[in-house]
Amino acid sequence: MMEFAKKRGSSDTANERLHLVLMHDRIGTSSGILEQIKDEIIKVILKHIDVDADPEVNLTSQGRQSVLDINIPLKGR
Amino acid sequence: MKKPSHECQVVVITSGKGGVGKTTTVANVSMGLANLGYKVVALDLDIGLKKLDLIMGLENRVIYDIVQVLEGECTIKQAVVKDRRNPNLYMLPAAQTRNKEDVTEEQIKKLIAELRKEFDFVLLDSPAGIEQGFRNAIAAADWAVVVTNPEISAVRDADRIIGMLESAQFNNIKLIVNRIRPEMVKDGDMLSIEDLLNHLCIDLIGIVPEDTRVVISTNTGEPIILSQNSLAGKAFSNIARRFTKEEVPFMNLEHNDSFWEKLKNMGRSVFSSKQVG
Ligand SMILES: Nc1ncnc2c1ncn2[C@@H]1O[C@H](COP(=O)(O)OP(=O)(O)O)[C@@H](O)[C@H]1O
Ligand SMILES: [Mg+2]
Repeated sequence: MMEFAKKRGSSDTANERLHLVLMHDRIGTSSGILEQIKDEIIKVILKHIDVDADPEVNLTSQGRQSVLDINIPLKGR
Repeated sequence: MKKPSHECQVVVITSGKGGVGKTTTVANVSMGLANLGYKVVALDLDIGLKKLDLIMGLENRVIYDIVQVLEGECTIKQAVVKDRRNPNLYMLPAAQTRNKEDVTEEQIKKLIAELRKEFDFVLLDSPAGIEQGFRNAIAAADWAVVVTNPEISAVRDADRIIGMLESAQFNNIKLIVNRIRPEMVKDGDMLSIEDLLNHLCIDLIGIVPEDTRVVISTNTGEPIILSQNSLAGKAFSNIARRFTKEEVPFMNLEHNDSFWEKLKNMGRSVFSSKQVG
């Protein structure tokens, strides 16, 4: 059977790239900063509580407002 | 000059990136507003790189420039160039041999305070960039129009400019998307209006298609708004009407009818939203 894979338009890529770039532009950071934040956060948290997995650190936007979304799964007893 | 019948609105047309269509917008929307019976002056604030005189086809009438007005070498009345097609339309040319740093925000504010007494609309053609020229252009404006193209680098600059306008306390910022190519949007190879609105989160005031006749109109100095059955011309005349707060539905240039329905309904809130000037 022939595969008619739907061609993904280049505008999808443009949208993804724009989304990331705009979120960093708005808060004046570069994309590498998220990894750095992740490393520093885990150090601080580990001083006090046990962590189950690496924290997830994401930049999201609500309208023109950028939001830093941090999700840290904690270890239960 | 006769006194205007309406409260004056001072509107800055800006973009960050160069070449997206600011000057084209100023020339056409000014003409459109004049055709609607408003008394309009268009100011070229691209000091050192003047272009509005050419685009409006008025270069032969220029005697003085804006820097000479600001420095008291001539009066406003001597320097404004009267349009040859519409008696409601005037243009104040930029200086070609001076720098943007030769003009201060205070000088622009004083000039515009004078123009407010004489005109219904003052349109400010901002230079590209975010330096002194941009700050001068936004110093005395009541509201702002950001022009962009459906292209990532233009959108990124537009976002930067919107941020700067917000920091400068602008609470009425409208978007014009220029040079859209519906067939490319349809093929998924150009950012759509919906995409741009999602990224930039400001209200839309116009959608102008790519139109080869814009280039021809630049050659002849006849703004595209004056040519019959040109889509770009129609788009600019719709924008002029929206400047006067008239609700004008957006032309459906895209093959995305559900989004266009949304846009139609949105039109209501877009144009009743709080206006400053
Ligand atoms: N809708 C359009 N379709 C085709 N060409 C356009 C359109 N809008 C602008 N242009 C062309 O793009 C170039 C830059 O426009 P201009 O208004 O001078 O931009 P800016 O003032 O932002 O630098 C000009 O050559 C103009 O003719
Ligand atoms: Mg220009």
